[in-house]
Amino acid sequence: MKKDFINLDQVSLSFERQQVLQDVNLTLEQGVSYALIGKSGSGKTTILNLIAGFLKPDKGTVSINGVKVLKPRKETAFLFQELGLFPWQTVEEAVAMPLQLSGRKQEIDSGVETLLRKLGLEKHRNKYPQELSGGEQQRVALARTLISEPDIILMDEPTSALDATTKEELQSLIREEQQKRQATLLFVTHDVEEAVILGQNILILKENGTISQLENPYYFTEQAREQLGFYEECIKLRQLIKVENNI
Amino acid sequence: MKESLQSTQSVIGRNIKKLAKGQLAGFISFLILWEVFHLLLNTHTVPSPMETIVYLVTVPEKVLIHCCASLLRVLAAIGVSLFIGVPLGILIGVNETCKNLLSPLLYFIYPMPKIAFLPIFMLLFGLGNTSKIILMIWIIIFQIVLSVRDGVDQISPVYFKVMSSYCATAGQRFKFLILPAILPQIFSGLRISIGITLASLFFAENYAAAYGIGYYILSAWSKMNYVEMFGGILAIGLMGILLFNLLDGLEYLCAPWQKGKGKRYPAN
Repeated sequence: MKKDFINLDQVSLSFERQQVLQDVNLTLEQGVSYALIGKSGSGKTTILNLIAGFLKPDKGTVSINGVKVLKPRKETAFLFQELGLFPWQTVEEAVAMPLQLSGRKQEIDSGVETLLRKLGLEKHRNKYPQELSGGEQQRVALARTLISEPDIILMDEPTSALDATTKEELQSLIREEQQKRQATLLFVTHDVEEAVILGQNILILKENGTISQLENPYYFTEQAREQLGFYEECIKLRQLIKVENNI
Repeated sequence: MKESLQSTQSVIGRNIKKLAKGQLAGFISFLILWEVFHLLLNTHTVPSPMETIVYLVTVPEKVLIHCCASLLRVLAAIGVSLFIGVPLGILIGVNETCKNLLSPLLYFIYPMPKIAFLPIFMLLFGLGNTSKIILMIWIIIFQIVLSVRDGVDQISPVYFKVMSSYCATAGQRFKFLILPAILPQIFSGLRISIGITLASLFFAENYAAAYGIGYYILSAWSKMNYVEMFGGILAIGLMGILLFNLLDGLEYLCAPWQKGKGKRYPAN
């Protein structure tokens, strides 16, 4: 029995008089991965920002493990859509930064080494982000996200800018690392295939702020992409999204 | 680490050679143009470049003393301007209240002819080096403050979000984000400032000075010794080449990620 970990209770938020979220309720369990899908502008990224502590709700509460989120917490890691890799940091420096910032300097050498090897970045350790390909940059950002061993991983369209092969490679890595660390993963995506590959649960955010939650039968299937059932599930999910959004 | 240092040294060495070749060609072209002007105008007020160079070579210690005096004043002015201008620019860049309060003041003072304040500085700080250096600081500090402020403004909001997500303190934000992000702007502000400071030597050293290249040029002008005057002008140009090259090298060392853009030191 997994325990409830992240809780959004009657959360409302508006920007410049425009209501973005209204009375959103959501409960996420510890160690489970969730794909959050929905139309553009429906407030998916806002939900990530609320859980990360970058935004405060106008109404309602966001809590993690029973503690109200008032500011960013060290145990929550965020993989930004824009990646946010600093041009002046080499791969090694970028990956080590979260440990440096949290004063865990003695863990830097072994932690960085392990992750660089795991993500195939050893030969790029002294390169700057602008010298790397899109996929390599994404892997550096992922390594930076994982090094602090977070209990919550938030990702905003983690593979949106990648080609199909690199995308599959990175999705496998994310899936593997999330399972190994038993972290709660919540990621926003527009890609139904990605939602089925990475999300144990699929959350559909509707324009009225309600969220439908579906269990994903294909999450634990190895080599899911090679099975016809996987694509049937994607088609079903696509149809469901249309119905949920009244298209 | 050792390998990386050796590779940086070899890249610098290669680039210095390349740079020296390019700059020598530029300098020779400039001398040819000068010679053409000298021949066309055919007046003693524009001496030939050869005559000027020969003069400079025959009295090198005399010019060198004046150059050193000016260089010390320029470096002091730049040092103080950086010491005050960089923190002030950062403060204006990161703090909205400071930005609202100080930006209009900066815009108001920035276009003013700073030389007009010379009598006030002479009155307040006397006729010695202090008033000369303060005049130069007054001329360049706004350039540095504005460059730094713009540098902070241009930092992507995502970078600040990254730092927040790791619960970085203000000090960590400065060390890991703000300082490296504004380094290229500091260097570009410095480049402009060096040009302006060298040009302003002529005004700053035209009173109560016994040494300084500005004084040297003015003194030659009043004696109508145009060869000596052009010698002084040439010396200022050479000081410029020296300072700009030093700055380029320093930028390459302090902001090596810039080399990837192939700006001045393309990666080989």
